[in-house]
Amino acid sequence: MFNKGEKRSEDNYVRYVLILTAFLAMSFVFTACDGGGSGEEAEPIRAGGDTSVDNRTSFAFEAPASNLSEESLDKHLEGDITFGDVFVTPPAPRNPGLGPLFNNVSCEACHIKNGRGLPEFGNTGLRSLSLVRISDPNGTPTVPGGNPPVEGLGNQIQDHATFGFEPEADVTLEWEEIIGNYPDGTSYNLRRPILSVTLANGEPLVSEYLTSVRLPPPVIGLGLLEAIPDETLIAIADPDDEDGDGISGRPNMVWNIVTLETEIGRFGRKASMPNLRQQAATAYFEDMGVSSPDIQGEDAEPDIDEETLDITTFYTQTLAVPLRLNTDDPDVADGENIFFDLGCNLCHLSVVETGDDYELPEMRNQVIQPFTDLLLHDMGEGLADNRPDFEATGREWRTAPLWGIGLTATVLGLQNYLHDGRARTLEEAILWHGGEAEDVKDGFMNLSKEERDKLLKFLSSL
Amino acid sequence: MFSTKRILVFIFSVLFVVSCGGGGDDSDGSGDGGGTNDELIQTVINDYVDQVVIPTYELLSERATALRVAVEVLRDDPTQENLEAARDAWFDARVPWEQSESWLFGPVDFKGHDPALDTWPVNRTDLDAVLESGNDLTEDFVANLDPSLKGFHTAEYLLFAFDIEELGDREFDYLVSVVSDIETTAAELYTDWVGGEEPFGDIMKGAGSNSVFPSEESAVEQIIEGMSIILDEVANGKIAEPYDNQDVEAVESQFSFNSRQDFTDDIRGVLNSYTGDQPDLGLVGTGLNELAAESDPELAQRLEDEINAAIAAILAIPQPFRDAILDPDAADEIEAAQEACRQAFDTLNEEVLPIIQ
Repeated sequence: MFNKGEKRSEDNYVRYVLILTAFLAMSFVFTACDGGGSGEEAEPIRAGGDTSVDNRTSFAFEAPASNLSEESLDKHLEGDITFGDVFVTPPAPRNPGLGPLFNNVSCEACHIKNGRGLPEFGNTGLRSLSLVRISDPNGTPTVPGGNPPVEGLGNQIQDHATFGFEPEADVTLEWEEIIGNYPDGTSYNLRRPILSVTLANGEPLVSEYLTSVRLPPPVIGLGLLEAIPDETLIAIADPDDEDGDGISGRPNMVWNIVTLETEIGRFGRKASMPNLRQQAATAYFEDMGVSSPDIQGEDAEPDIDEETLDITTFYTQTLAVPLRLNTDDPDVADGENIFFDLGCNLCHLSVVETGDDYELPEMRNQVIQPFTDLLLHDMGEGLADNRPDFEATGREWRTAPLWGIGLTATVLGLQNYLHDGRARTLEEAILWHGGEAEDVKDGFMNLSKEERDKLLKFLSSL
Repeated sequence: MFSTKRILVFIFSVLFVVSCGGGGDDSDGSGDGGGTNDELIQTVINDYVDQVVIPTYELLSERATALRVAVEVLRDDPTQENLEAARDAWFDARVPWEQSESWLFGPVDFKGHDPALDTWPVNRTDLDAVLESGNDLTEDFVANLDPSLKGFHTAEYLLFAFDIEELGDREFDYLVSVVSDIETTAAELYTDWVGGEEPFGDIMKGAGSNSVFPSEESAVEQIIEGMSIILDEVANGKIAEPYDNQDVEAVESQFSFNSRQDFTDDIRGVLNSYTGDQPDLGLVGTGLNELAAESDPELAQRLEDEINAAIAAILAIPQPFRDAILDPDAADEIEAAQEACRQAFDTLNEEVLPIIQ
């Protein structure tokens, strides 16, 4: 990733980060312990720093960051509307631009209550709540390092169309149950997705094409993740596993469609998006068929203007992170210790600080607990989609943030985790971990039932 | 080798464990010795589910059936009188739906009933294309169409945007299928709360023993958040968006001129959520107001008065709302209605929520 000329300054930077971090850590330790021992409570790290909200209801992911200025809050609330705007077939007096091919009709339709989607396709009430990415391994990428599109289908299957148009394909997802046992004899069930894609002409998708099912992720705290400096991610990375701990996180390097340069990727299941604006523009275009100033497609005039793209992006940058629940519960505290003992935190990094030069002042210099390093890790064969995405291999996935994960059932009424929603519980999600996380997963499996429950209770507190 | 990552992980881990090990973020405010209060909280949750939410959905289901019957009569005998009767049935069905917007959580969300019933705007371009197509407009066909081509607002468009002589067989067939789909969805919504393997009503009443509602307190907060969301939505979305932008196209229920009634019923849903009553059905329960009154009877009453004041303020907006937004003489009333909703929102969140927590 770096040429030798850059190595020295990188080392200097790493040293600087280490010193700064050590200072920070010590100051926190002192702050945290100040007055401890006689009933005074330690000041906990707030999940989303100053953006955090004390809301554990089903609307928890819809709260604006609690530290927004009045001006920012006004803009955020405008974005709340554009994020929910339902697009319709043009011409139309309101929100024209849908399709003709699409997966769903509004941002919020997939990111249900700003949380995750469902591994469902073709639901008549909800349209499709996940999508299928595709690529042709023998094709030619349209951007440097990008995924070669499939001729006639692009990089994503749109399984819905406005009236009179034919959707590209009919997508069905079936599940194969897998039964396993813990060393203590307790059994568990997992389910593996079986994807079928039938093209408009009735033929199955050519098997050489690579596919990947993607469940929409929650959109909370994204501005904070965007505000983490590139340098921090580089410092955390260990691409060659020089420390020999078996964990070799590295950032994805992806194409920025505005700067036309390769940059660190941080959003999306394989970190294939460099920033939230590109994520928003891509979702408008690919998921809804709505063109924007950044991705105009063949439209003479984009369907949404600069202001709308900016406001929607801003909305995703300024959502709060809910505070944790029950942190004084001894089981949660034990579970937290188990989380660290097992080494879950080697990837699900518990504490990060945002940078001081991010575009939105509210997100700057925040000490946060996202439980992600935003880096790519080999997650093993079981989770592999075998579809590379920029530098991410078919076995690599970006560490998913865990903040707010304990609210999944509250927000959605249901639970589904991992990139394709295959895991129905947090326990199943852990059991799917493999590759670099195989040892950690084994550690989990070797715990007693009581310890496993405590770990799950800790996760539910996030 | 000395690894950057490992050091960082170590430092952060130490930092995390030490700073949070003693834990101070107490979200479990149940305290001790609160047996009576706990019983009251459980009663409030039970009555919310059994006296407010489920009866309102049941009423919606019944009125959706009545609407379907009315549009069938209209199809079979397309007279102005039957059109008026169908329009009235649409107004009636709309009431419990809008009231239920004070609890837009649970199956209405994750099973897609909200978009299926209430997607806005109507996809008029596709609707014209569907009507002009050769497709047989059966309920099955319509059920499989996009939500922007069905639900209350598509039915509203067909019932209210045309004169009786403009409506032909295609429109009537489509209308009957759309309304049948509304009837099916409304029935499912009711069933989702009372039936199936895990009725959502039982999940809510079982707060504290499931992952959806991890504590009784979380269910109470959920009720309050549901009220807050719609108070905010009426003031800062449903009224503000068309009013601030002077955009008639942003007005919900614009074909039926029913916007003001929609807003009123939204806030009536808030009132019902607060009192545990469903006055339209003569049901009286124990509400959050009684829980709040345990700590501060004056405050508990004040919020009820403010919610009623918000309803009155909305009703003071000159009709129809879609014209009022463009009329400078109506500005005071519109802004007063917004302010009244915001006042109730603030009292609910800044004063009542803390004492209930």
